[in-house]
Amino acid sequence: MQEFVTNNIKETNKVANDLATSLESGQLIALSGNLGAGKTVFVKALAVGLGISETITSPTFVLMKSYPVNYKQIKQLIHVDCYRLDASEDLADIGLQDFLDDPQTLVVIEWADKLDNLPKNNLINVKMEFLGQDKRKIVISSKLVG
Amino acid sequence: MRILALESSCDETALTILNAQADSLVLEKDQVYSQVDIHQQFGGVVPEVAARQHAETIIPLLSANIKSEEKVDYLAVTTGPGLITSLLLGVTAAKTLAYAKNTPLVTVNHMEGHIYSNWLSNDELVKNANKYFPSLVLIVSGGHTELVLMKGHGDYQLLGSTVDDAVGEAFDKVAKLLDLGYPGGPIVSQRANDGDCSIYDLPRPMINSGDYNFSFSGLKTAVLYTLERKKKINTEDVDNVCASFQNAVVDILVNKTMKAAQEFGVKSIMLAGGVAANNQLKESLQQEARIKDLPFFFPELKYSGDNAAMISVAAYYNILNKKNIISGKDLLSVAPQSNWQLFKK
Repeated sequence: MQEFVTNNIKETNKVANDLATSLESGQLIALSGNLGAGKTVFVKALAVGLGISETITSPTFVLMKSYPVNYKQIKQLIHVDCYRLDASEDLADIGLQDFLDDPQTLVVIEWADKLDNLPKNNLINVKMEFLGQDKRKIVISSKLVG
Repeated sequence: MRILALESSCDETALTILNAQADSLVLEKDQVYSQVDIHQQFGGVVPEVAARQHAETIIPLLSANIKSEEKVDYLAVTTGPGLITSLLLGVTAAKTLAYAKNTPLVTVNHMEGHIYSNWLSNDELVKNANKYFPSLVLIVSGGHTELVLMKGHGDYQLLGSTVDDAVGEAFDKVAKLLDLGYPGGPIVSQRANDGDCSIYDLPRPMINSGDYNFSFSGLKTAVLYTLERKKKINTEDVDNVCASFQNAVVDILVNKTMKAAQEFGVKSIMLAGGVAANNQLKESLQQEARIKDLPFFFPELKYSGDNAAMISVAAYYNILNKKNIISGKDLLSVAPQSNWQLFKK
């Protein structure tokens, strides 16, 4: 487990960038934290780290957006947002299972704490907390196989 | 010509039969079945429930509005952008019907539909559209914030869009921070009416960015900071926060719209999308357009949210341009495109 306290967006971006360099395809990033904690900002920086040129915009309304990637074995990023979802709901309904099973896909889920059936393997948990103004606490923990 | 259109890209299942002539658009049938109540009950959208509702409503909607032997010249359906599970229902129903009735199907982009909601509410556009091109269109909704230059029917250039949250989403999330309920837009703007917008000095992110992109995520976070600082807030504070927030949003949207109108020498300004229901936004744009002597068009309230009428009108202009018309065996390959980006930079 790693814990960071960042004092500004630049430092938050660096944490996300560093995480991006260690990522492998087939992994799942579960982001949690309240409104305004900086989850989308984190995903934007992660995307920059993965060399994605498209602008990452909030998937809150459409639940899921996809972006092409060319980084190591990773060929696409699926950005999911559970904000509008009912707590107990299964993301299989929007076709997420297909992406979770795809070795060339990296899935990032915002408001992942609303889901209780996430796979246990290849899961990276990122918990973000608002500490006032641009200050954030970020806790990264992972359960990786192999 | 008669066009039957279906829309199911998100929370609404809707059907329209349009009778379109060269200078008149008449809606023979127009029905919207909304799922907002159901989503309220669950506290959010449940994709499986949304899809099931579309499945349960789309066939009754069809059989109540069109007899099996009745002919239409074209069918039309929203194929994207939107929620994949919701889109799938409308697309499947429409292509099945098109194949069975041997009728061509027009695949319509949901955003283009929003633009054409203006044609439903302004006869002048139906009769003399060319007088008003190029037009600058501001599309604002729960999922979109886009500034589009419309050079003619079906001819678009994307000038800018949000780099993070959409306007409608920002309204919903601010409502959530203030514990005001769902959907947040109408509630926040209602509370804003009773508030004083000068109490809280909220930022106008990217207002001087020199491009036509928008950012609303930071504004939402600024509201959060304001609330954290206050700790306890009363009814008056909530009204004032709503007023200050709405004022900041309208400031940004109007400022960029008018800058673009000036730079591109447009002949009119149009507003579209669910947030077009916001009175302060409409009034501010109207006022600024009047100063510049530019005609300003906006959709009636019933056509600003998602509906099938706007899809039928967009389909009509696509047909005139011979675009996106599919028939015969090609119908089998029609599929939802949840990320369909119609407007190009």
